[in-house]
Amino acid sequence: MTGSDGLAGRILRVDLTRGEVEHEPTPRALFERFLGGRGVGAHLLFHELARDTDPLGPENKLIFLTGPLVGTLAPGANKITVTFRSPLTNTYSFSLCGGHLAPELKFAGYDGVIVEGQSERPVYLWIDHGRAELRDAGHLWGRLTHDTEDAIRAELRDPAVRVAVIGPAGEKLARFAGIQADYHREFGRGGAGAVMGAKRLKAIAVRGAGAVGVADPAGLARLAESIYAALAEHPKARIRRRYGTPEMVESTNALGYWATRNFSTGYFEDADRLQGVRLREQVYIGDNSCYGCPIACGKISPVTAGPFAGTAIEGSEFETIGLLGPNCGVADPAVIVAATAICDAYGLDTMSAGAVVSMAMECFERGVIGPAETDGLDLRFGNGEVLLALVQAIAERRGLGDLLAEGSRRAAEKLSAPDLAMHVKGQELATYEPRGVVGMGLSYAISPKGGHHMIAPTMAAETAGDPTRRWRPDGKAQLVRDTQLIMAVVDSLTLCSSMRFVLGLDDMLALYRAVTGQAVDEPAALQAAGQIVNLERLFNVREGFRRRDDTLPRRLLEEPMPTGPSAGHVVPLEVMLDEYYALMGWDSDGVPTLERAQELGLEAEWRQAIAGRE
Amino acid sequence: MGQRVLAVYSHRCTGCRLCEQWCSWQHHGAAGGPARSRVSVHRDHHRQRNIPVTCSQCVKTPCIAVCPANAITRDPATGGLLLDAEACIGCRLCLESCPRGCIKMDAEAGVPLLCDLCGGDPQCVRHCPEAAIMFLELDAVDRGYREHRLAQAEEAAR
Repeated sequence: MTGSDGLAGRILRVDLTRGEVEHEPTPRALFERFLGGRGVGAHLLFHELARDTDPLGPENKLIFLTGPLVGTLAPGANKITVTFRSPLTNTYSFSLCGGHLAPELKFAGYDGVIVEGQSERPVYLWIDHGRAELRDAGHLWGRLTHDTEDAIRAELRDPAVRVAVIGPAGEKLARFAGIQADYHREFGRGGAGAVMGAKRLKAIAVRGAGAVGVADPAGLARLAESIYAALAEHPKARIRRRYGTPEMVESTNALGYWATRNFSTGYFEDADRLQGVRLREQVYIGDNSCYGCPIACGKISPVTAGPFAGTAIEGSEFETIGLLGPNCGVADPAVIVAATAICDAYGLDTMSAGAVVSMAMECFERGVIGPAETDGLDLRFGNGEVLLALVQAIAERRGLGDLLAEGSRRAAEKLSAPDLAMHVKGQELATYEPRGVVGMGLSYAISPKGGHHMIAPTMAAETAGDPTRRWRPDGKAQLVRDTQLIMAVVDSLTLCSSMRFVLGLDDMLALYRAVTGQAVDEPAALQAAGQIVNLERLFNVREGFRRRDDTLPRRLLEEPMPTGPSAGHVVPLEVMLDEYYALMGWDSDGVPTLERAQELGLEAEWRQAIAGRE
Repeated sequence: MGQRVLAVYSHRCTGCRLCEQWCSWQHHGAAGGPARSRVSVHRDHHRQRNIPVTCSQCVKTPCIAVCPANAITRDPATGGLLLDAEACIGCRLCLESCPRGCIKMDAEAGVPLLCDLCGGDPQCVRHCPEAAIMFLELDAVDRGYREHRLAQAEEAAR
């Protein structure tokens, strides 16, 4: 039960097959060992899933977890993770969602929710301050995300309920369907929405009225005040506040690492139309914050085109703009916002959506597919109208969209053009073009959830100082490893990564100590991070993933970038990978050594992972 | 100097709920949580709006007038509301009477949560990063609304 250590004290376990909910005490020892969120999720997924679990079968789980900091005064501690086996990659995966869902769950008395099994009929989970029940969702199945939220709030007669929901894309098992929360926050990547759809769980609605006890209230209050003051002064935090994540457009493009036209190059000639400064002047009409965060990086944009014209979204975020914009050759913010609105309403990951469209566009331009396959759509780069039509078709799984909903790797294989899918392990790459910032290439390659930018976001460090450094492999393995360990801590503390503007590792741990009373120092946190990263790796090793899977699309390895400030470069992956494996204590095939596993207390997991696979 | 009041400019609010956090903290410490805050940020998902709801220190206070137990008084120094928790019968008439719907019940104590202006240093104001809640004299409260209306008119004329 609630204590003075930041934990609510209970986990809700939901068995959809039997239609039952159960309360379990929060495994406090696991939270001490792995901090929270991502770390605890990695442990539970490894141990609760058997090898070869079908990602879309009843045995897969959705493990929603918060951390001790959530719901306290700790600034920016508002994330909730969901951990699952991804239907897009078949790897371990997790996704994070901000907004207000995480604190609401804590206030309702839960540190997490584990969803397992598969319901015969559509249901939704209603968590009402210490009680939970499954309710019929037959009338909600097929409805758009926002409509579903509205309907649930209406039937529960409470406008303040927080709701996480899947849309038609998740119901139809689009492999990159996400889970939307409170209209415009999402568990975006990896296909958690498809897993939820396969389970026939339409939504999770939460209402809480409690509080989160902490070990050192006065100390925590002082820390919070000092963090607000630091954020108010910090230049990066200030521009993030003013322009949102698109503040990164200018520098990313200026240095030639902004993925353009399906990673044909890293420089987009019309990028100035998408700069944060321009969006602030011409698009944004307001700002939104997640719980307990003074940055307010969420930017409200009116939708002026497409089927949702007349509404407004929160976004589009930098990654979304990159993949639905330049990577499809599109420079019109109105089109990008309209495409984002479709993704949000149907419950699709905007990033993968942009990437599959760009892949299809390249297939069209190269003659791999023609008007017969596209239902007559003139699928050329830069055609915004067609982009909207295709995103809609993916969301509804119609025509070519039905194939693209399988993700770019499966779709490209079907089209006999596997090299045109810009992915790692099936997950579409983020918008940083790694030929212009090669550490990100290593970061994509080794990510346990497939190509993803927040496993080890090294771009800022790589582009600081010496302008040639970003193309060179030396030092990148170390940088990726160090960044990866820090991010494992950040995600396990369920802090927003933006807090890193002003919080170093020890500052984050100071928050953790004030909340939990645990005397965790930097070495202990890095040891926990090492355990988390290796557990994630061992999950994938158990499923047969090896060095051959830690790779990049051929184009990025072999074809020098053709244009822009990073022209002439490729990703020197193998040399970085060798060095990275050595630093991690992994063998040359990317498998943790027994010695490394023993140092981390993961020998049992190691034996399970390699048994029968050698 | 006249007494000051809480002025809410919802067009500035981003919904971070620091006001809720610190209100509750001021009155209940870590045991509070937003549920026991005297300010609530209402979220309108459709219109993408965040609307902080606070006590507005009404000139004629319906909550005081309606209280059958005479449990609510006004702090002469600050103008904030004071509750005699012993006298309060927990009837919730004050909740119904509040023109802004700002008053909540403290579920543990069984009494209404009334804004005492933190003794003259309201924590919601102190912690709002957007100046969406300000502590102003009555003759200055109009300015923030005018800013918003003029901006709207300009936008419409564009």
